[in-house]
Amino acid sequence: MSDQTENEESPLAGEAYTLTSEPKLIDGRRVLGVVPGKPSTGESKDLIDEDAVMVWPHLLVRHAVAALAVMLLVLLLALLFDAPLREIANPNLTPNPEKAPWYFAALQELLAHFHPLVAGILVPTGILFGLAALPYLDRNAYLKPRHRKVAITAFTAFLGIWIILTLVGFAFRGPNWGWVWPWNEWYGEL
Amino acid sequence: MKVMDRVRHSMMGRSFFRAPDRVTTRDVAAGHWANFFLHIYPVKMRRKEISFRYSWYLGAISTVLFGSLVASGVYLMFFYVPSPANAYGDIINLETQVAFGQYIRNVHRWSAHLMVLAVSFHMARVFYRGAYKSPREFNWVIGVVLLLLTLLLSFTGYLLPWDQLAYWAVTVGTGMATYVPFIGDRVSEILLGGPAVGASTLIRFYVLHVALLPAVLVVVLAVHLWRWRKDSMLDMERSEP
Repeated sequence: MSDQTENEESPLAGEAYTLTSEPKLIDGRRVLGVVPGKPSTGESKDLIDEDAVMVWPHLLVRHAVAALAVMLLVLLLALLFDAPLREIANPNLTPNPEKAPWYFAALQELLAHFHPLVAGILVPTGILFGLAALPYLDRNAYLKPRHRKVAITAFTAFLGIWIILTLVGFAFRGPNWGWVWPWNEWYGEL
Repeated sequence: MKVMDRVRHSMMGRSFFRAPDRVTTRDVAAGHWANFFLHIYPVKMRRKEISFRYSWYLGAISTVLFGSLVASGVYLMFFYVPSPANAYGDIINLETQVAFGQYIRNVHRWSAHLMVLAVSFHMARVFYRGAYKSPREFNWVIGVVLLLLTLLLSFTGYLLPWDQLAYWAVTVGTGMATYVPFIGDRVSEILLGGPAVGASTLIRFYVLHVALLPAVLVVVLAVHLWRWRKDSMLDMERSEP
């Protein structure tokens, strides 16, 4: 181990390099015969953002931590909250309100204001195709937010409206799709 | 560590690892390159791109949640028969009789909700990074397809417990299909297998949920990751005008 980290003295000084000996390493590189001194570019190397680093282990260990954190969150949620199960399905007994899954709550909220052809077909289709077309519409090559004001404003507005509609449809709607305050009556379903 | 090195240099170790030396950086790269499980990753990435604040690891988190869903979902499949006569009773049985049944069902449910969130946040993060820009446009399109597949998987799974919540949520959701111009009734009938949500709907949604959609998602995800790996060292910042 000592000959792998030695940088102060020359690891090869006074030593004939033979093919049978352990490889000599300096800075992770196998050396055949050099006398290392101080590097000409400076003693320590700065960490540069643009530098390429090995994915194993640097990214993999971060992904492993992220995976463990997520699984811990799932474990805690699963221990604390049981998945809902209502009475057996009954086609003759319509609950009031009927709620779509939360990720379709925005569409269901739109359905209360627009014709179903608009809210149920045109809007979701338009959103999907619009999202898919985004990189072909936005040909601005800048990456920094201050150079992308139009794209960021438009996307943020869309995202904000969608989140508000989802929250309204999920938590603020009760019987007959009337307005309720979630802290008074709760009709959200997960 | 020395023991592990001897294992790697043994006859079997060499056949297993192919690149047994891990001495130089080059050896480590060769080992990575020769590893099946690591081949979905690039060998090197930019230092800034592996930091948490760059991506929040949302793509990796979505993939982990998908893995959690496959694992818990397979367990649930052992105890579930997709017919109106059995489905609800099977869930009750799962929650009361099966070892860890309630817990695994909870894991499946929460992983599903979290995956929809993680995939959505992933898309937003990629947008604000500008990471969809040329030449990565098409990988963004593939990502939109993955978002749609995630929503469809979640929605088809929603019906399977066959309780009031499932039945009426799917009735509301599929009701929109009838408004497709000209062919709405046909679309609805193909989706439901009849005029209303019933036994044919349940088996259709079940097959979509456990076989067809996951298989499609795995293939599309493979393309998504393959393109991500290929593009990992592209020089985008430098080409910025």
